[in-house]
Amino acid sequence: MFELGISTVGSVNVMTSDKGGLTNEQIADLAVDKIVSISNEAPAHIRQQANQFREHLKNVLYHYLLLAKKEERGTIIQVLESNGHKEMAEYIRRL
Amino acid sequence: MAIAQAMCTTFKKELMEGVHNFKNSGGNDFKLALFAEGTGAKGSTTATLGAATTVLVTTGEVTTSGSYSTGGASLTRVDPSASGTTAITDFADLSFTTASITAMGALIYNSSASNKAVCVLDFTSNKTSTSGTFTIQFPTADASNAIIRIA
Repeated sequence: MFELGISTVGSVNVMTSDKGGLTNEQIADLAVDKIVSISNEAPAHIRQQANQFREHLKNVLYHYLLLAKKEERGTIIQVLESNGHKEMAEYIRRL
Repeated sequence: MAIAQAMCTTFKKELMEGVHNFKNSGGNDFKLALFAEGTGAKGSTTATLGAATTVLVTTGEVTTSGSYSTGGASLTRVDPSASGTTAITDFADLSFTTASITAMGALIYNSSASNKAVCVLDFTSNKTSTSGTFTIQFPTADASNAIIRIA
């Protein structure tokens, strides 16, 4: 006799933005959701610790996302300025 | 509910017939199309999607906007694997940019196999981007969460 298995579809997470791309916080949330998943069936104290770790991880990712964007912007500004596009460089600096 | 999350019944049958190939290298072209209920869809038509869906339908698909165009976009496949006794497969997250979209769900289908339906995703509420980014993040690829699991 064969035992029948189950086939299941997982739940996706949808993130949207208005008038521009996703914010740093939204991207940090996406990354954390991909790294950490906490079972509803885990004991309460484990879930609490996992949630604290999740928050810490999100803060670290958020910080480095900001840094990455700032550094990339700095590189773009430098390239624009060295090619004579000072006005455009200043515009990007103010973003 | 007009959009109900489900693995399409015909897909289960077609798996046994060897219709679908999820391998990263040489696999089929799976696409994701977005659908709306009521406003947001083409001509305010409402999508009806669920286990009985057999192929890509156009009724209720969201209109072309930004980087989203009719029929949706191709998904990047991740090689199927086993997690314990569960077989799983995954896709890379998908984003549509500079798009004004309102969607209640999505259909994953196999464009290499006459647009045969794979599964229906229900977002449970309308998700809206306005001249912005619309990102679909797939769940962690494990036995409990992966987008497609066969146990």
